[in-house]
Amino acid sequence: MGATQRLTVPGKFEHLAQIAEFVTTASRAAGLNDDDVFHVEMAVDEACSNIIEHAYAELTGDIDLTCYVPEMGRLDIVIRDHGQSFNPDEVPVPRLQEGAGLDAVQEGGLGLYFMRKLMDEVRFEFSPENGNTLYMVKRKQA
Amino acid sequence: MNIVQEALSSEVYRVAPEGRLDAVTVPALEAVLREHLDAKRVKLVLDLAQVSYMSSSGLRALLRSRREAQAGGGDVVLCGLNPRVREVFEMIGFTSLFRLYDRAAEAAAAFDKPVPA
Repeated sequence: MGATQRLTVPGKFEHLAQIAEFVTTASRAAGLNDDDVFHVEMAVDEACSNIIEHAYAELTGDIDLTCYVPEMGRLDIVIRDHGQSFNPDEVPVPRLQEGAGLDAVQEGGLGLYFMRKLMDEVRFEFSPENGNTLYMVKRKQA
Repeated sequence: MNIVQEALSSEVYRVAPEGRLDAVTVPALEAVLREHLDAKRVKLVLDLAQVSYMSSSGLRALLRSRREAQAGGGDVVLCGLNPRVREVFEMIGFTSLFRLYDRAAEAAAAFDKPVPA
């Protein structure tokens, strides 16, 4: 299987395009199809945008990305930062039911909503020693 | 990011960003939309034909701009979504929230019709 690939960039918005290129290349190497590759790109973009906007709002630090291919057709992504942690259970779930109207749509929580929609697994771990770690898995769609 | 702007009529303006709409580029688009809204140009066609990608930061900007345009008696109507952008819209229910058209001319004509409830 493919080797583990790593990318470390400063937690700044201007590195989002570089991050997108890195995960797109890794997704293709894992044998994911075009739709899957797009889903991974967007989920990682949302995750890293949240890290930059929230975790590193008042701190500076790096974002470490690691991509594994445990088997062809599956990509595991680990994203780590050392910024402010958060409680995923307290992030509001956007209210998007049909007919709710424009005013009912909340702006918060959209990023996390997309990550969960786009990926097969999304899991967070927060520890004082290792920082904030996000695990995501994408499997090739049939 | 390059953002094309033109008047489609005396009241309707087309704004057409090009490239990726992510957390980096969205502020530039919001600034352009803000200029129009501040000048009471509230009938806006946002042409996404040249937009390859849109993240939730772009969606939030659309929501904010549209609320403001509607408060001023206008609207933000969209056209030219590529299949990827449309998929994102569908995932979050925006296809029923926004008026979507294939081409800018159709979107502009939407201002002559009543806003759906």
